[in-house]
Amino acid sequence: MKTNWQRRPVFVAGIAISKWGYYPEVECFEYASKAIFDTLRDADIEWKDIQAVFCGSCYQGVASGHKVIKEVGLTGVPIVNVENACSSSSSAFRLAYQEIAAEIYDVVLVLGMEKNPKGPIPSTAFLPWELQLGFNFHPGNYALETVKYMTKTGATEEDISLVTVKNRRNASLNPNARLSTPVTLEEVINSRMVATPLRLLHCCPLADGAAVAILCSENKLKSPSRGIKIAASTLTSASYKEEYVPGGILASVKFPATLNLVQLSAKQAYDISGYGPEDIDVVQAYDTVSPSELWDLEELGFCAEGEAPKLLRDGVFQIDGKIPVNTDGGLMGRGHPMGATGLGQIVEIVLQLRREAGTRQVKKARVGLAHSMGAGPNSMVTILTKNS
Amino acid sequence: MSVNKGKIPFSQGMWVTKSSGEARLLGSRCLSCKELFFPRKVSGICVHCQQRRELEDVELGPFGKIVSFTEVMQPPAGGHYHGPVPYCYGLIDLNDGVRVEAQLGGDFEKLKVGMKVNLVIEPLYVDSEGNEVQVFRFHPIEEGIIQGGSHEN
Repeated sequence: MKTNWQRRPVFVAGIAISKWGYYPEVECFEYASKAIFDTLRDADIEWKDIQAVFCGSCYQGVASGHKVIKEVGLTGVPIVNVENACSSSSSAFRLAYQEIAAEIYDVVLVLGMEKNPKGPIPSTAFLPWELQLGFNFHPGNYALETVKYMTKTGATEEDISLVTVKNRRNASLNPNARLSTPVTLEEVINSRMVATPLRLLHCCPLADGAAVAILCSENKLKSPSRGIKIAASTLTSASYKEEYVPGGILASVKFPATLNLVQLSAKQAYDISGYGPEDIDVVQAYDTVSPSELWDLEELGFCAEGEAPKLLRDGVFQIDGKIPVNTDGGLMGRGHPMGATGLGQIVEIVLQLRREAGTRQVKKARVGLAHSMGAGPNSMVTILTKNS
Repeated sequence: MSVNKGKIPFSQGMWVTKSSGEARLLGSRCLSCKELFFPRKVSGICVHCQQRRELEDVELGPFGKIVSFTEVMQPPAGGHYHGPVPYCYGLIDLNDGVRVEAQLGGDFEKLKVGMKVNLVIEPLYVDSEGNEVQVFRFHPIEEGIIQGGSHEN
């Protein structure tokens, strides 16, 4: 299946993100519509110029994006709501990118948003018998993945805990993060057990929040120097028996999977963009639990299998390290409003490439990569570059 | 206190109990590529080879080994789960050549990756009408105690 990616270039003209947190008294459309106005200002684009809207969310229900746009302005603009689990808004971003690349529209707005109930989410991605046996416990399913990773690589509880320590430190530099206080290794290791071997501080906090981006063709960029070019946006969904327990897919014993979803989506993104892992200056990896950042970095090709724990200890993934990872705190610190998470990662890459990331700015940032996963499963890789 | 009325499976068609009292899981096997599925595939289509020849019913188990497991310390969201908490579940590779997701029983403290396990049918909870709702679980095979037949492999 050969796909033609040689279309016209597409740019991120503007972005905004709400302060992610827990807001039981505030409706989703309130912070989402505010983020849209912030993005229009950032892009220096007027609402009447937006030709289409793609809105990603998981649990906001029917016509959720329409509910937001009602608060912004109904101009007849087509609105499409996108649910693709924790990759919902990165999938919405990809659709907007494709519409502009295909020259259907010149200016498209992408919204990602979520408002969560308190506590774990009763996922709808499981069968009735699985629900009755308690297999829909998100940290439990990631615990099964974690045990496999630790068995295979020898990674320790301290290794996985150090991811939390790094990401919470980064989050403390991000005024829009859900959790603003850093934590120590002792605090992580002494937090309560949720699903062995994962403790509370190995699991990302849910959050309420929104993120927005305006994408456009080159001729519509008001400020070409601030425009961030989309070098690749790839999505790979489940392949036969490629095990992903959070998505309810187990490996085949007789016919082992030959494709790893993350590796496949990354390879496509590297092929399309012409960049390799060695060219990436800043990474947003998918740390829905802290150990998943480790295997994610390995599968994205930043290091060999089992090598991430050592590189983490060596400081390679810190903001001042060779490959800064989850500079905004990641899911562990920035929080996880599922439908907004993918676009939140992209917003951080844009800020870093524009050199607008404040105290968490990485030194050299020319090419950035964001990776989101989701039930299903889905694996999405977005590569962005400075407009040079 | 409710009276124990009867024993019912938590979900229909997932296992059979043989006349000897031993249980086997019920799965499907593709007549073309021989891939195994658990639970049974009611669609009749093999999602591995896409051949539309019929799938045949097959009995699976009782032996396997633990690939991964977790002990969950709180009830899952949604109100679908009525069993005990903490509970333990994991991935089991059956000797037949298929991976299943299942609850684990026995002493959770003693569970280890790679440990040999066998299939046991036991109570999950007692429902509002007093029925004992049963579940399939895997227990570690204790040395010298072989339940459910030989475990040569």
